[in-house]
Amino acid sequence: MAVDVSEDVDHATDALGGGLADVDTRRARRGLGGIVAFLLLWTGASLTQPSYVLPSPLVVAETFYEQVASGEVFVALGNSILHWIPGAVLGTGLGIGAGIALAWSPYLDDVSSPVVRVLRPVPPLALVGFAIAWFGINHAGAAFIIAVGAFWINFYATYGGVEGVSEDLLDVARSLGVEGDVALVRTVVVPASLPEITTGIRTGIGRCWMLVVASEIFGVAGIGRRILRASNNLQVDVVITYILVLSLTYLVVDVAFRALQRRALAWR
Amino acid sequence: MAVETPRVRVDGVGKRYEGSQGPVQALADVSFTVGEGEFVCIVGPSGCGKTTLFRIIAGLEPSTTGHVALDGDRVEGPSTDLGLVFQEYHLFPWRTVAGNIGFGLEQQGADDAERERRVRDLIDLVGLDGFADTYPRDLSGGMKQRVALARALAVDPGLLLMDEPFGAVDAQTKKMLQDELLDIWRETGKTVLFVTHDVEEAVKLADRVVVMAKEPGRIRTVVDVDIERPRTRSDDAFTDTYQRILDLI
Repeated sequence: MAVDVSEDVDHATDALGGGLADVDTRRARRGLGGIVAFLLLWTGASLTQPSYVLPSPLVVAETFYEQVASGEVFVALGNSILHWIPGAVLGTGLGIGAGIALAWSPYLDDVSSPVVRVLRPVPPLALVGFAIAWFGINHAGAAFIIAVGAFWINFYATYGGVEGVSEDLLDVARSLGVEGDVALVRTVVVPASLPEITTGIRTGIGRCWMLVVASEIFGVAGIGRRILRASNNLQVDVVITYILVLSLTYLVVDVAFRALQRRALAWR
Repeated sequence: MAVETPRVRVDGVGKRYEGSQGPVQALADVSFTVGEGEFVCIVGPSGCGKTTLFRIIAGLEPSTTGHVALDGDRVEGPSTDLGLVFQEYHLFPWRTVAGNIGFGLEQQGADDAERERRVRDLIDLVGLDGFADTYPRDLSGGMKQRVALARALAVDPGLLLMDEPFGAVDAQTKKMLQDELLDIWRETGKTVLFVTHDVEEAVKLADRVVVMAKEPGRIRTVVDVDIERPRTRSDDAFTDTYQRILDLI
């Protein structure tokens, strides 16, 4: 009997694998077509406008190359990363921790619910004043704003995940000798809500990159600062260059995280 | 004759709920015992409180009156003395077959080599060789229930408590799992308390059948099944017992 089932499983996996590969190449082909079409449209549009309104892709490519060759891109990127990483890590960690604690403990939930509801709608950018007053115009100040953004996304994603953990799995774990809140959270709650938690982290990473730009408006160096400065000088090609740098960096981080997520959730 | 403490003593257990239309008496004065190594089935119509009784015996829900004792000790909550098997399996989806079966052993702090050996033996016992690294997602219902059974047996509980364990699998698989359960029961000498709504299943498996009635959920009678195993439906004694229980429900 066991042999029969194993063959079924193998066949199912084969069929699925082959189908997925086909879909992947088709998607890639279509995506490439989309990029080409977009570049053509952009070129066409740029012909009708002066270059300080919309530079052509070629002009942007040239500027991109100059900025990379002069190393300016890496300085700006390095600066942004110096507040992006601490902000994202701190906000994510605290958000997940708070989400688990409040979803698990009805007592903590009751106590904190009014405060949470008041603080939740505050946009991170409204806290610029606090960032400057508490940390100053530096990486710590920018990291604070990024952390606030990451916190709420991760808090709510984790909270929802933990709330959805099946009572029955907790009963089974108790009957197999798991005792106490910490042990139950570690052995059942966290692994069971990992899909929601990792989705929160991933959404948070994207949100943090957007906040990198926003958090630099009050003068902290980085890609956002560079975009704002170029905007003031009507250097649209430079603006687009740094937007591209931002997008590409986000893409790399997102692809890497997705690979990690897929591995962690191989059981799904 | 020495008075032996039964493995399980259910003593005057009752359960009242506050329903939307006033209080509901789900169980009233349920008392019975299960002896060491015995295989007892609880059978009854739907709504007779079988699952409530299961949850009370398992320590997952308090009773309103009476109590349950395991080896003379009152059941106050879930513990490793009670191995639970549910109809819906409730496997840990993020753990492989081996990971699910080893879960309880990890909590007991068994060392790796000992745990691996136990897990291997249990995989062998439930006939899942070659599936140690498979996730529950890729298992059929019958295979999932085998994992659940092995997981419950891993911590060597004094009582195996099963709630309609074969209710969600097809008829053919069900028959196979019943035979395997009887083999495992004989091999391990476990005490089994098995809840089902399927009278045929109860007659096939049990030493004794606790027959329940509803409104309120209570014990109608306890039927001894004194038939040599393996039992077949075509057997006269089987049909007689089956009919007797069916008439009681």
